[in-house]
Amino acid sequence: MPLLTLATFLPILGGLALMALPNRSARVAHGISIAVTGLVFLITLAIWSRGIVPGGFAQTEEIAWIPAIGAAYRLGLDGLSLPLVLLTSLLFFLSAIYSARISERAPSYVVLMLMLETAALGTFMALDGLLFYVFFEVSLVGMYFMIAGWGYEERQRAALMFFLYTLLGSLPLLLAIIGLYLSSGTFDMRVWIDAPPLTGLAAMLALIAMLFTFAVKIPAFPVHTWLPAAHVQAPTAGSVILAGVMLKFGTYGLVRFALQMTPEAFAQAGQVILAVGVVSALYGAFAALAQSDLKKMIAYTSVNHMGYVVIGVAVAALSIDPRIRVIALDGATLQMVSHGLVTGALFFLLGMLQDRAHSRDMGDFGGLLARVPWLGWAFILSAFASLGLPGLAHFPAEFQVFLATLNTAPWAIIAILAIVVTAGLYLRAIAAVFLGAENEKWAEMPDLDRREKLVIVPLLILTVLVGVAPGWLIDMIHTTMASLSF
Amino acid sequence: MTTLALTLLGPLLAALAILTLRRAPEVLALAGAGFGFLGAVGLFVAVSGGDPLTATLPFLPEFPIRFIASPLTATLSLVVATVAAMALTYATAYMRKDTERVRFFGTMLLFVTAMQALVLSGDWITLLAAWEMIGFASYLLIGFWHGRPGVAGAATRAFLYTRTADLGLYTGAFVLIGAAGTSEISVTLATTGTPALVAGLLLLVAAMGKSAQVPLQDWLMRAMAGPTPVSALLHSATLVAAGAILLIRTAPMLPGGALLAIGIVGGVTAVITGLIALAERDLKRLLAASTASQYGLMLVAIGAGAPVAALLHLIAHAAIKSSLFLGAGVFQHDRDGTGLDTLEGAGRARPGIFAGFAIAALALAGIPPLAAFFSKDAIIAAALESNAAPWLLPLTLAGSVLTGAYMGRALSVLWVGEPGPVRASVPFMAIGMGVLVALAAGLGFGFGALEEILGAETEKPGWIVPAMGLAVGLGGLALGWFVAPARLLGPLLVPARNGFVFAGGMDGLIMRPALSIAAACEAFEQRLLGAQIGLIRGLGLGTARLVNRADGALLAFTLWIGQQSLRLGSATQSTDTNGIDAAIFGLVRRMIAAGAQARRLQSGFIHRELALTAIGIALIVAVLLAAPYYS
Repeated sequence: MPLLTLATFLPILGGLALMALPNRSARVAHGISIAVTGLVFLITLAIWSRGIVPGGFAQTEEIAWIPAIGAAYRLGLDGLSLPLVLLTSLLFFLSAIYSARISERAPSYVVLMLMLETAALGTFMALDGLLFYVFFEVSLVGMYFMIAGWGYEERQRAALMFFLYTLLGSLPLLLAIIGLYLSSGTFDMRVWIDAPPLTGLAAMLALIAMLFTFAVKIPAFPVHTWLPAAHVQAPTAGSVILAGVMLKFGTYGLVRFALQMTPEAFAQAGQVILAVGVVSALYGAFAALAQSDLKKMIAYTSVNHMGYVVIGVAVAALSIDPRIRVIALDGATLQMVSHGLVTGALFFLLGMLQDRAHSRDMGDFGGLLARVPWLGWAFILSAFASLGLPGLAHFPAEFQVFLATLNTAPWAIIAILAIVVTAGLYLRAIAAVFLGAENEKWAEMPDLDRREKLVIVPLLILTVLVGVAPGWLIDMIHTTMASLSF
Repeated sequence: MTTLALTLLGPLLAALAILTLRRAPEVLALAGAGFGFLGAVGLFVAVSGGDPLTATLPFLPEFPIRFIASPLTATLSLVVATVAAMALTYATAYMRKDTERVRFFGTMLLFVTAMQALVLSGDWITLLAAWEMIGFASYLLIGFWHGRPGVAGAATRAFLYTRTADLGLYTGAFVLIGAAGTSEISVTLATTGTPALVAGLLLLVAAMGKSAQVPLQDWLMRAMAGPTPVSALLHSATLVAAGAILLIRTAPMLPGGALLAIGIVGGVTAVITGLIALAERDLKRLLAASTASQYGLMLVAIGAGAPVAALLHLIAHAAIKSSLFLGAGVFQHDRDGTGLDTLEGAGRARPGIFAGFAIAALALAGIPPLAAFFSKDAIIAAALESNAAPWLLPLTLAGSVLTGAYMGRALSVLWVGEPGPVRASVPFMAIGMGVLVALAAGLGFGFGALEEILGAETEKPGWIVPAMGLAVGLGGLALGWFVAPARLLGPLLVPARNGFVFAGGMDGLIMRPALSIAAACEAFEQRLLGAQIGLIRGLGLGTARLVNRADGALLAFTLWIGQQSLRLGSATQSTDTNGIDAAIFGLVRRMIAAGAQARRLQSGFIHRELALTAIGIALIVAVLLAAPYYS
């Protein structure tokens, strides 16, 4: 059975079915949303059980599309994309559960979410350059409407900014894809990876184009400025998907395209890319420390965490020791998943807090831990995970990235200072919101209800599981990374 | 294997049981600590005669989790288990009226688990993970009464400042793993040369943070915000001990330069924090400063090349300091405070508890035949023998005088004054404390046997060293008992009371610079954002003219590439709610009419969208045209 195709297109089909229904009440819409995303999650579990193979793509599905130009419908998986596919289907499922209380134009909201899921899964599984680009762009449209339609106060401006940035950002990728196509005569990404078609200056130009696109998406300094605005204004589920799934397009592309398709140029530019990663990690951490808006703070920590991914990939390209390369790539890939779980949880929790208090400013709170222990402890756990506490999801990833960094480009280890800065900003936020004297204003605040627990508990369990026993996840990543030739 | 599992899983399972069942926390806690203790005893017996026990669990592809029970680590594990069991026994009474006992005992046992993992760790990742976990657990425990004023700040600082120093452990471990190619501690200890020196100094930084060595001593005094059994555990065998344990375990690798640095840091700390302790006006804070000063002495021993002496002092200090804290907790219950003013005469009211407190205090001052007499002599002997004796010996002796002085002062405050009333009798507290006091008194007699098990004997001093040790101990006690600190310290009183902070202490050195960098980043961020928006706007308007001149064919071609963006542009124009709904549900309809519509979208943002798309097309055309030349 073509499970990959099924997983990719089931969401959009669900959306179309909803549009065709005569009764489009909020209840029906959310019912369909939860059922479809849940089913897709199960399908991705089945895909996981089928496994991957070292040294290539597994479970490929292929149909001729435009044979004249060598473009085809091609899907497939390896140890880089499968973890991201699982993360995507999980976060969409949880977002659907979380969003079930949205009554404002629910059917449109659900259709957008389902369209986004198709785009996201397609982006990670596409093995055809053109197909990848289409999915990549469609996701942009979905997120634009999500922010503009269901965001907060200044959503129009934020949505426009998001759109302009990412549109402008994605054009260079198209150029690079066309360049790869012209020199190879096919859009098959496997061909581009197995025998990188571009060399010399052409490869470097293509790399620069791709780096620009992915740097905007990741986002890396200095093209990260759209992210805080978009996050702050996006609805909760939008923030979760944006941070948990869509930022990974950038880091996924960085490995899949930039590193694998222009490996020589990447190694030549390695120090520059590494510097971008280091600056992003440090700048993101310090900028986050300056925020009092909780959502904005978490948004900047994404710049920090994605900076570690960039560092890991750059170090892998720079290192000549094959062991260190694998360690760096294992760490960078695991970091993508960890960030999705942990930051997803944090944005959900902030959404729950904002639903209750209609405020995101840490100065407005105080002593909430005694009032809402579930919310408080879930936030504390997620925050400590985000600051890299061992036993929680980010530690194994960041440990490997830093270990490889120190043994390849020792100067770049200054990025490790950021783990203290993030510790500081999270502890400050915890102290301001949850510790200290209780603020009378929130004396009636209810704790998490069943639906909210259903959303947050799986993420917390996975955060601990990845931190304590990452084997089930890292082995899958390792299988691919250990056989990667670049 | 079973004993190793019991030592680690006893407390861990108890913690999980407490947190999930949420009932009978005391019983579960004592059971967990008891099993952990049995495991540690079994472990100690098993390895004291034979080979080390090891266990390996999967973690990362190249780096499994390893535990190792060697004579050294098993001894440390037994110390941790003993103190933990007694502190928990005491806590069942101390925390009786607290409504959050479940959280308290759950966190305490997590803490104990992390500490056992730390002392038994066989690889750097496990050690690092356990190291950070005890930091986290102590954050939760110091912040236990999080609603009270000042508590959140104390917990935050404790975690933040130790974590800053932890960067030393991270980078030190990376250096060692990189040099040795494995994370196994025993293998990495064979590292030599520059990597060993760099790693040694980095590990020292980490140890200074955890063991509150100068200039990172400030957080420890603040950490008194937590419940007293927490302090007893933190200060004796766990959190603070981690720094010294790290250096004791890595001592075989440390080259001369690193040893000298360790010795000097320890000696200076012994004196500086000794002065702070003497100037303190609060009993718990006095004991906290004393902890830093005693760990300073242990670092002197390591620096002098006698890690076994440091280990003996660590063991003696664990029993002594936990006794002192538990005693202080009883007085605190009677008087509702730990200020020395409020505690005047509190000891006289409870002669039994006071006797225990006094035995422990005399032991710390190095009075024979109590435990620290032997260990302190070993330290003095090591300092005397060391190459750096001119530095280390005076600092060691000064630190020992100060030890006697602040303990003498504490005893005089507790004894001299009105006895006042006592609250109820405290059997559980007395049991927990009594066992530890007995250990503080008698442990010294076991040191000989222990050295044999460890296979490393300390120098057997002649008569000069014990005489010196006894003289400084007794002299210090007399000074402390009879002379007021103000007269003893003279001009040093005020700086000592302020904890010898310079440049605003850690807040001034780390927090404020970090916040100003953050503010600068934020200011830069605003300008960056402004510049980027200006750039996009300029690009858009500039190329809009081009687009106006572009012909219909180009527009149709544009659609092929930028169909999505065009539609978006129209929605941007009217992002009212109806517009979006219509945009989505009209998707299918529009697919058909899209081509025709493209020409009509001619105003507002559309120009910019088109412009952007047009740039893209122009570039594509350029690439297409240039293709034959570069491929």
